[in-house]
Parts: sequence; C-alpha cells; structure tokens
Amino acid sequence: MITLEHYLTVAAMLFVIGIFGLFLNRKNVIILLMSIELMLLSVNINLVAFSSYMNDLVGQVFTLFVLTVAAAEAAIGLAILVSFFRIRGTIAVEDVNVMKG
Amino acid sequence: MGAAVFAFYLFALSTITGGLFTVLSRNPVHSVLWLILSFLSSAGLFILLGAEFVAMLMIIVYVGAVAVLFLFVVMMLDVDFASLKAEMAKYLPLGLLIVIVLLMELAMGLAVWVPSDGAKMVLGAPIPSDTHNTAALGLLIYDQYFLLFQLAGLILLVAMIGAIVLTLRHRKDVKRQDILTQIYRDPDEAISLKDVKPGQGL
Amino acid sequence: MIYDDLNIIFPEIFLSVYAMVALLGVVYTSKDELAKRVTWVTAFIFILVAFLIIFSEEKTEIAFGGMFINDAFSRFSKIIILLSAAVVLVMGQEYMSRRGFLRFEYPLIVTLSVVGMMVMVSAGDLMSLYMGLELQSLALYVIAAFKKDSVKSTEAGLKYFVLGALSSGLLLYGSALVYGYSGTTLFSGILSNVSTDAPSLGLLFGLALVIAGLAFKVSAVPFHMWTPDVYEGAPTPVTAFFATVPKMAAICLFIRVMYDAFGNIINDWQQIIALLSILSMFLGAFAAIGQTDLKRLLAYSSIAHMGYALIGLAAGTEFGVQSVLEYMTIYITMNIGVFAIVMSMQQDGQSVTEIASLKMISETDPGKAIALVILLFSLAGIPPMLGFFAKFEVLRAAINAELVYLAVLGVLASVIGAFYYLRIVYFIYFGEMPETPLDDAKSPILRTIWTASAAIMIFGIVSLLGVEQMAKAAAFSLLN
Repeated sequence: MITLEHYLTVAAMLFVIGIFGLFLNRKNVIILLMSIELMLLSVNINLVAFSSYMNDLVGQVFTLFVLTVAAAEAAIGLAILVSFFRIRGTIAVEDVNVMKG
Repeated sequence: MGAAVFAFYLFALSTITGGLFTVLSRNPVHSVLWLILSFLSSAGLFILLGAEFVAMLMIIVYVGAVAVLFLFVVMMLDVDFASLKAEMAKYLPLGLLIVIVLLMELAMGLAVWVPSDGAKMVLGAPIPSDTHNTAALGLLIYDQYFLLFQLAGLILLVAMIGAIVLTLRHRKDVKRQDILTQIYRDPDEAISLKDVKPGQGL
Repeated sequence: MIYDDLNIIFPEIFLSVYAMVALLGVVYTSKDELAKRVTWVTAFIFILVAFLIIFSEEKTEIAFGGMFINDAFSRFSKIIILLSAAVVLVMGQEYMSRRGFLRFEYPLIVTLSVVGMMVMVSAGDLMSLYMGLELQSLALYVIAAFKKDSVKSTEAGLKYFVLGALSSGLLLYGSALVYGYSGTTLFSGILSNVSTDAPSLGLLFGLALVIAGLAFKVSAVPFHMWTPDVYEGAPTPVTAFFATVPKMAAICLFIRVMYDAFGNIINDWQQIIALLSILSMFLGAFAAIGQTDLKRLLAYSSIAHMGYALIGLAAGTEFGVQSVLEYMTIYITMNIGVFAIVMSMQQDGQSVTEIASLKMISETDPGKAIALVILLFSLAGIPPMLGFFAKFEVLRAAINAELVYLAVLGVLASVIGAFYYLRIVYFIYFGEMPETPLDDAKSPILRTIWTASAAIMIFGIVSLLGVEQMAKAAAFSLLN
C-alpha cells in the first residue's frame, strides 16, 4: 500500500538533492539552474500528493502556477546567463572575481 | 505486490536517480538528459496520484520547453566544463554533510504525516467525482483562481520582456535588409546614363 | 460578484494595463527616444495611483474568495511603495540616460514589479503570495542585470537570480508543507487550523522554511549573502530601488504572513525572528566597518536596519507592527536621500562610489555635506534626527513585549553601528583634500531630493508628518 508518506519521502529526497546540487556545483550556473528546477519539481510532487490524499484540487492548481513560474524563471535565468557569458566568456560565478567577498 | 505499487517504486526510483545524476554528471548535456528522465518519471507519479492534467503539463512544458531551453543554452555557450567540474570535489564533504542533516530532519518531520484536525473542513475545492480532472481544474482556474491566472500571465510577460531586454542586441557591424528602402528607391537616382564617346573615356 | 472583486483590485489592474499599453505604444513608435518621457509618465502614474489609494474609502474588503485583502495595512504599504518607487524612478532616469542605458523597458519592468509588490502586501493566500512575490522578483532580477555591457551588473543579476530562486524554492516547499498540514492555502483557514496546542513537526518545518524564504527577501542574516554583492554590482539607480521599495514590500508581506496565517502560534516563531534580528543587527554593524565602497557599506547598513525592523515583528504586538511600519517609512526616506547623494558623486565625469572620495566635500559643496551628515546621523540613530525615533519606537515595542534582552542588544548594535557612519562624517569635515575632488553635482532633481529627505529627518519629528496615525490604523486593521 502506497501512502502519502511515500510520496513525501520522494519529494524530500529530491529537494535535498537539489540543495546538494547547489552546493556541489557552485561554479557551474547551468547546473545550478537545473538544481533549482529539481527543487521546484519536489514541491510539485508534494503538492500533488497532498492534493490527492486530501481529496482537494487546490494543490493541483498550485502546481500549475508553480509550473508556469518555473518556466518563466528558467527563461529569465538563462537570459541573464547568456548576457553574462557574452561579456565574461565563462559561466563560472565564484566569489572571487570582479567583486570581493 | 500490485501493479500500482510496482509502478510507484519504478517511477520514484527513476525520479530520484535522474535528480541525483543531474547534479553529479560531468557533462552538462547528460545533466539535461537526466533532468528529463526525472521530469518524465515524476509525470508518471502524478498519473498514479490521479492528476492527469498536471502530468501532461509536466511533459509538455517541462520536457518540451524548459529542458529543451536548457539544452539550447548548453549547446550555445561554448563552455569549458572540465575546468568547472574540477572544483566539485572541494565542496563534496560539505554538501554531503548538509544532505545528511537535512534528510534526517525531513525524515523526522515527515515520517508520519499528521494533518491538523480541521484540515478536512476547510478544503478549498474538493475533487468532484463526476468531472474529469482537466475539466475540474479548468473550472477552478478560470473562475475561483482567475486573479492568479492573470498574474501568471503578467509573470510570463515580465519573463518575455526580460529575456528580450537582456539578450537582444543591435549589432552595428551587421548589415540588415531594409525592404521598405529597397522598394522606395527611385531608379532615376540610382542609375545615371552616361554617353561615352569612343576613345575619350569619361 | 466578479465586478466587486475587480473594483477592489482596480489600482493593480490600472497599473498593469498602463504597463502593457505603454509597452505596445512605445514599441510601435520611437522606442528608446521616449525612454525619459515614459519614466516621467510612470512616476506620475505611481503618484496618481497612490493618491487614488489615499482617498479611497477606508474599509476592509476581501476579493476573490479571500485571496486578496484590501485593508488599512495593505493600503499603507501600497502608498509607501508607490510614492517611493516614483521618487526612485525620477531620481534614476538622469543618471541612466547620461550613461546610455536608460531604455524604455526599465520603467515598465519597474511598474510590473510594483504590481507584484502590491499583490504581495495584499495577499490572503499562499498562492497569491507566491505569485506576487515571483512577479516582483523576476522583474528585479532583470533590472539588476539591466546594464548588460557591464560585467558587474550582469554578475549581480546572476547572483541575485540564483539566490533569489533558491529562496523562492524554500518558501514554496514550506508553503506546500503548510498546505498539507492545514488543508488549505487561505491564510484565514491556516489561522483557524494551526492552533496553539502542539503543532506537528511537519508544520513547524513548513513554518521554518517559509520564514527562511522570506528572510532571504528582506536580507536578514543568515540569508543576507547576496545583498553586498548585488548592491555593489547593480547600477546605482537600481541599487537605490532595491534598498527601498522591495524592502517595504517584503517586510509587509512578512508581517502579513506571520499574523494572518500563523498568528495563533506566535510563541513558535517569535524566537526565530528575534534571532534573525539580533544576527542582522550585529553582522550589519560589524561587517560595515571595514568597507571602502559606499554602496557596499549601505548594503550592510540595510541588513542592520532590517534587523531593527524585525525587532518590531518579534515583539508580536499591535504596537510592534505599528513601529515596524514607521521604521520602514523612515528608513526608506533616509535611504532615498543617501542614494540621491551617491548618484551625484562623480570624478571627471566617471561615477565613483568610494567612501574616500567624499573627503572634504564640506569645502566643495557645503550644502550637500550638511545634508549627508544629517542623513548619516539619522541612519546611525542619533537624536534628534528622525532615525533615532524609528529605533526608539521598535525598541519600545520590544520592551513592552517583555523582550528586554532584544532591546538591550539593539541599543548595543546601534552604538557599534554609529562608528562607521561617524567615520564618513569625519571624512567629510576633517579628511585631507583628495587630488581630484568630486565634480559639481549639477542635477537640480537630485539636489531637491536629498535636501527634502534631510529636511524631513529634522522636521519630521512633529508626529512623523501624520504617518504615525496611519501606521496605527494599519496595525489595528491587521490584528483585529
């Protein structure tokens, strides 16, 4: 029998992987963006699981909006990344470079 | 073990594997492909949960648009990824520590989910038994959640303006075709006839 | 029924329609030649909408099934947001057009972000909170990277984006857990379901994640790391915007969520907020000491100020909320003045932000020097400037709520913080003359703004020019 907790565990693991990815790939912004997408995916799993087990559609409506915003966020993020790459020639955003600390 | 249980474990496992290799893989193209696997299997999870419309959107929006956008950018930017990855080992211990702490905390918190006593009473939109999932969602979005729907439109507008502002550039060194000036060019001004006498030159 | 709802959100509709019409109009006509005019018109529209809200009927209304709340609290924050956004726009247009990166999209993106902020402060539901927050954040990411030929600006945009998206992710995960616990996303439903008797661990996780996400947006320690880099990297007019308008929106949203949704478990969040506030005040005070760049220093100063504002929230009382609103209003007024001065600083036509370049401006421009000294005294909280009363009010709220330790630490941090403000004052009057003094600031707009801001710091003590009464009504409407 698959319970709500099963889904919550999957979502929690995915969320933690997302945060792990943020720490692991501090230099590679593209992977950073993908890690953020993973975090949003885990939120979606959470919302749909709650929605299904509580028999309430609001969770799915929330998921739809999260999806929309995630797409917009990806577009903006990649646009900033492209304009950064054009003048820097790299996508490494480390704490050391133009700005200190 | 029923088919549903089997399907859950299959999708759950591939969602997590996909996620894990997205952040671990050395080649960003592979990362995108793992990300797509993760999206697809979570769409499977959504179908198991009875959210067909969200599952479809997952595939259409995430896999069809977002992941492809990522792939585009990875291919477009000529980045030396090997040097970026060399640094990865440095952060691994810290990252693992955070993972363990977070997982333990989340496991403690979510091991048994207890909703509040009143949760059943305040449901915003109980799932109707006689309407299809997509239709039910449509009724909600265009009625009860109309405000959010419009806001989502504004967010997409901002994303559109933002992407154009940040990446569109007019390069002065590139020649462009201006059709109107071509059409309105007067042949009398463009060509002048000279009567060249033999042996004299101009 | 829908007409009533649309009536309630009329200011938001008006602004979004304006943004879209202006966008279309400018795209089909002359593009960037109109940029300056569009900026002025946008500022005018902001002021118009602010007056529309000031003179609207004073009552509490809810729209769209509780997702949007129009009460005295949201009206107060909207008025401050709109007026300060208008001033910041007017202040920045000259700087930007002189440096050739004022494009007509700038005022329109700012408009859309202001719409997002207005939705944020009126949010009555986790979903409208999220959508409003994202609308403003996405717009802010874009304007941080707006000067796209500058490495610093795009890098600031990128850093802001990554950390901002992370914070939205945390907030969202928290909201999902809260939804799963209480069965609804409406604040009123959460309030009735989250009772005082031992809330579950899952709910507390949700609450902690929501607080973490919001703390990112107000740049409270330990979620502040983006602030100095983004403030330094973004173009100065954009930094001026970041330091003022979104801060008001984020703090008001913070207050709204904490009271409207979690008002029954004040004891569970009070300690977290108090901790955030102490850390912010002290880190802001200590880290600012070694700074040489004025924009970076102002970033740490704003972190410290957010710490003080959070004291009022941690107090958990009606007077606490009132003191935060007053604090934020004064903070924004001061910062607008300071940033007007930062924008006017240039040497040989190049804008500079080093603190050292302010040496002896008392000789070259005594009027500016006096205004700056008044503003810095006010930021440091030295009586009789208005900044002192702002701090005094939040500390009084803390003492009334029997959080004496918080008040004592607040006083301590402000004494430490006074040091770096006074260091600048020392430079202004007693430093040695630099080789190349600052150019004459010829901008009458900037001069008017900083003079007005400094004047308010002195004359505003007379009942805060009426803000006190409004803040009181706002706090009352939120808690009753």
